[in-house]
Amino acid sequence: MEPSLGSYLALSGILFTIGAVGVIYKRNAIGMFMCIELMLNAVNLTFVAFSRYYGDVTGQLFVFMVMSVAAAEAAVGLGIIIAFFRNRVSVDVDDASILKN
Amino acid sequence: MNDFNIIDYAPIGIMFIVAFGFAASQILVTQLVGPRKRTATKLMPYECGKDPVGSARDRFSIKFYTVAVIFLLFDIEVLFMIPFAVAFKYLLDQEKLSGVAFGTIAFIEILVFISTLVVGYIYVWKKGTFDWGLQARAEAREEAKQALKERKQQAIRDFQRAA
Amino acid sequence: MNTILLQNLVTPNVSLQAVLPEMIVAFTGIIVMIYDSFMPKQRMVTGALSLIGLAASAFALFSMWGEAPASSWNGMIANDGLRMSFTLVFLFVSAMTILISTVWTERENVPIGEYHALLLFATFGMMFMAAGNDMVIIFLGLETLSIATYVMAGLRKSDLKSNESAMKYFILGSFASAFLLYGMALIYGATASTNITQIASMVGKANFPALLLIGGAMLIIGFGFKVATVPFHVWTPDVYEGAPTPVTGFMAAGPKASAFASFLRVFVIGFPLVSGAQASAFLHESWVTALTVMAILTMTVGNISAIVQNNVKRMLAYSSISHAGYAMVGFIGAGVAKTMQDRDEAIAAVAFYMLTYAVTNLGAFAIVTLIAQKNDRRTEFDDYNGIGFKSPVLAFSLSLFMLSLLGLPLTAGFMGKVLVFRPALEAGSTLLTVMVVIAVVNTAISAYYYLRLIVVMFFRERTTSWLEPKVSGALAAVLIITILGVFYFGIFSDNVIEKFSGKPSVQSAQIK
Repeated sequence: MEPSLGSYLALSGILFTIGAVGVIYKRNAIGMFMCIELMLNAVNLTFVAFSRYYGDVTGQLFVFMVMSVAAAEAAVGLGIIIAFFRNRVSVDVDDASILKN
Repeated sequence: MNDFNIIDYAPIGIMFIVAFGFAASQILVTQLVGPRKRTATKLMPYECGKDPVGSARDRFSIKFYTVAVIFLLFDIEVLFMIPFAVAFKYLLDQEKLSGVAFGTIAFIEILVFISTLVVGYIYVWKKGTFDWGLQARAEAREEAKQALKERKQQAIRDFQRAA
Repeated sequence: MNTILLQNLVTPNVSLQAVLPEMIVAFTGIIVMIYDSFMPKQRMVTGALSLIGLAASAFALFSMWGEAPASSWNGMIANDGLRMSFTLVFLFVSAMTILISTVWTERENVPIGEYHALLLFATFGMMFMAAGNDMVIIFLGLETLSIATYVMAGLRKSDLKSNESAMKYFILGSFASAFLLYGMALIYGATASTNITQIASMVGKANFPALLLIGGAMLIIGFGFKVATVPFHVWTPDVYEGAPTPVTGFMAAGPKASAFASFLRVFVIGFPLVSGAQASAFLHESWVTALTVMAILTMTVGNISAIVQNNVKRMLAYSSISHAGYAMVGFIGAGVAKTMQDRDEAIAAVAFYMLTYAVTNLGAFAIVTLIAQKNDRRTEFDDYNGIGFKSPVLAFSLSLFMLSLLGLPLTAGFMGKVLVFRPALEAGSTLLTVMVVIAVVNTAISAYYYLRLIVVMFFRERTTSWLEPKVSGALAAVLIITILGVFYFGIFSDNVIEKFSGKPSVQSAQIK
């Protein structure tokens, strides 16, 4: 038996929410970044579910784009976090407070 | 998709069993047959025959991180090549049937894509990312310079003492 | 074996000519990048190459301007007034940023080739955001732009402020991208298409109208972050203050305009009011109301926060937030326009507003860069004390830019404001009229902090020593261009706005 469209959407919605809440509550830059990746993957699941539902490849194509962009973002993001770590020896975002918040 | 048959995959299954079985049997047999003498030298961690230096739980140099990131970037490009490879033959057939240049366009597009990757590769190469010894060599040069300086000073001191 | 499920192959519609300006910028970026990796010692060549590339791209753009509106690449790329006018803004911003950066890159020994390559890739991303008539293209353009800008914000590698700015921008920016993307996924789910023109034809008969609403809300969050409208503006002051000053100028003028371009494309063109369809009427009313409330909040919060700032860069950051609010007034005007012609005129007005803001803002940031010295040490209001009569050229130009930001008649800012406020007033709805009144009141409030800088420069005693900064040739060129621009757009705005609105948007573009 194949799960219905609704269950895919519910799963992706839950994953997306976990990711969003994680970004807000995590204090560690790497952790926040992983939560963002989780959000992107939730979106991918939505796209694939709809793509399957409509029998249309556009959604799958979009997923390819999202995945490659996520890789590029990961590379740049890790670079930025490492630059911060070198100067500060901490990846805790609470330490990022020279610019008043 | 009705022609799916689990028996078609049997050779792969057999290969897996043989591979696992071979590995497992080798480990078992050496455990059972091999003689065992525990000496201090034998229990030492193996570092290419030399005596181990320092702890094995050191931090790795940051330069390996760059390699990891570049692997991440180049690795993900397979994502676009696999669909191309899968669809290319079909597109060529369609090109023959319909006269629209599906296959040619796809081929040119993948060439453009790969040449972009090559440009990125050249850039990374010229920037010295693959030259892991760059920093080590600079340090060695610095050390050699320092040693030379000390030796000179030592020579001067020796000379002064002698005089 | 032949079970590949590929039916209905779409005939590829390849037209390199339709994306020529974008391609020129991208190729220049690649050439600059490779040239720099082979000749790491150069300081001038990549800048010159980038300027040549941008000029060539502008030339290609002008040669396309006369063509009839159309869409190519199977409906993915639009060739209409929205794209043309915004692309012109991006090319201008990018060229000016290269000239302004000469001061900074000389002073701090920045990896210049990388900086220019990143700037060109960011420009490329912005151009695709304006050109994309498909959500895939808009997303790719947005990410190309964002990733390049994250790095540019953190280019001062050993400076903690710059690191922090880059990290905040990166985390909040990709957070916003995720929301935007989820919105796109839900819109795709509701309409079975990612093409804006097809979405516009489907909003009346969407499969899941509720998803359309949630998707629209997610898109508002995502674009709201990028444009820096008020509930989602918190990152702006920190990022703008920490980033190197020329990059801040670029971020305030370029990426903001490009986010507006795709925001306009998705909402005004993608979610129109379809007569006789309940779902589309509800969607349209919801987004117009939501954006109106956001515009009011954006203007007010931006202006009131700007008043209490003591750092010039932070003040300009809040001022950029309030300007996003003013531009949104024009956006909403475009959304409620009754006829196609009115709508295209309102879109042209927003593009014109972003152009005037870019001209004024880049001029102001050129002077702030010059005065800031190495590592942006002098960016407080106190550093501007009494420089008025010591460096009259700088002080008078900065005063002119402040007056233009304020919107004094005869300057660019005034014409921009008039043009964006008009369509919203003509709509005749109470809410929109209230919004325009609040916008005008806000303009009056903003006089306080813009004039404060002028007062500080001319009427405050200077206690510390003042070293007159040397104005280089490139910077002099920027100042001349921006000052002339401020007057030209203020006095002869009709020429520009005619050109911008002369080309209608792709509405019934031929798809497939």
